[in-house]
Amino acid sequence: MDALTVLLPAIDPVLTHSAAAFVGTVLLIAAIEKLRDPDAFRDAVENYQVLPGAVVPAFARAVPLLELLAGVMLLPVASRQAGAGLALALWLMFTAAIVLNLRRGRDRIDCGCGGSAHTPLGKGLVLRNVALMLATWVAAAPMLGRSTVWLDIVAVGFATLFLLGLHFLANTMLSHQSRLLDLRNSP
Amino acid sequence: MNEALIVSNMLLWLAVLALLVVVIALSRQIGILYERIAPMGALMMDSGPKVGEEAPVFQLPSLGGGTVTLGGTGSGNTLVFFLSPTCPVCKKLLPVLKSLKRAEGNRLTLVLASDGEQPEHEAFRRRADLAVYPYVLSAELGMRYHVSKLPYAVLIDASGRVRAKGLVNSREQLDSLFSAQDLGVASVQDYLDAPKFAKEQA
Repeated sequence: MDALTVLLPAIDPVLTHSAAAFVGTVLLIAAIEKLRDPDAFRDAVENYQVLPGAVVPAFARAVPLLELLAGVMLLPVASRQAGAGLALALWLMFTAAIVLNLRRGRDRIDCGCGGSAHTPLGKGLVLRNVALMLATWVAAAPMLGRSTVWLDIVAVGFATLFLLGLHFLANTMLSHQSRLLDLRNSP
Repeated sequence: MNEALIVSNMLLWLAVLALLVVVIALSRQIGILYERIAPMGALMMDSGPKVGEEAPVFQLPSLGGGTVTLGGTGSGNTLVFFLSPTCPVCKKLLPVLKSLKRAEGNRLTLVLASDGEQPEHEAFRRRADLAVYPYVLSAELGMRYHVSKLPYAVLIDASGRVRAKGLVNSREQLDSLFSAQDLGVASVQDYLDAPKFAKEQA
């Protein structure tokens, strides 16, 4: 984890706390959605056609638990860097699987991001994941040692809500994107 | 001065969050619009046997024994549903198909069609609880109907003619095949293009 911190400049605590709370909540929500509908996630993993079939069920069961762990570890300062490392590894893995399938030309399969909306793979999804990885990066950065006041806590709360709203909006628009293309290409 | 900045900062945060909520609400409304505008009926790809033409006759072995005859004169409607174990939309439509079959009873024969490796389909058939429906594996069948996208459905009537066909993604689109038959039109697109409808719209 030290290599991670060497590369990072110290950042204002409001930014790191908001980023950590945001990424942590995103991971927790994703994990809960996957745990609620394990069959759908297993089908999605199968559709990616990256893993051999025998590994798929175990992998599909492990991922939500890892997400849950990373999300919980991101929230307290003490375990934040380890949590960020795990989260970063997860995002990298998801993004690699998406890019691999996009290069195969399979951009119609569901991303398996959880939730009821069908979100096909695409460049937008990769961009969203890059943004999440950047946020994880910020969350892992060392904090500037300034004294915090009550207003900082308020700012962290608002900023987290704002980032979550933005993330939700991005997801909605990504799942609309395919419908828009269908409409544009329809005769 | 400090206090004024704090107040203005709070107000700005609240304004930003309120705007974000509005944008989210707008994007959800756009989602509903997409749902309503998107191809209303089963989208018909204009290839394969035309609606109104005789359906090609096929005699195919069904998984789990027995033979299925597609085409030719029969006792009622036959719905051929092309699916694949790896297609998520097909899985979503299976309960709809089952309830459709229950509602239509003896007037409708539901035939599931696919191609590929038999063991994979046997497993899918068991897993999805489809043992009561005839299930045929034939690449030729799909090619004769020019099935290019799944799930695809073809409705054949008692006299052995193709009544409606198309790509189906939802319950509404499946139902549209039957209303297309009732209205005597090939597809909902045909209905919308028909001069009578155009006049009503004008």
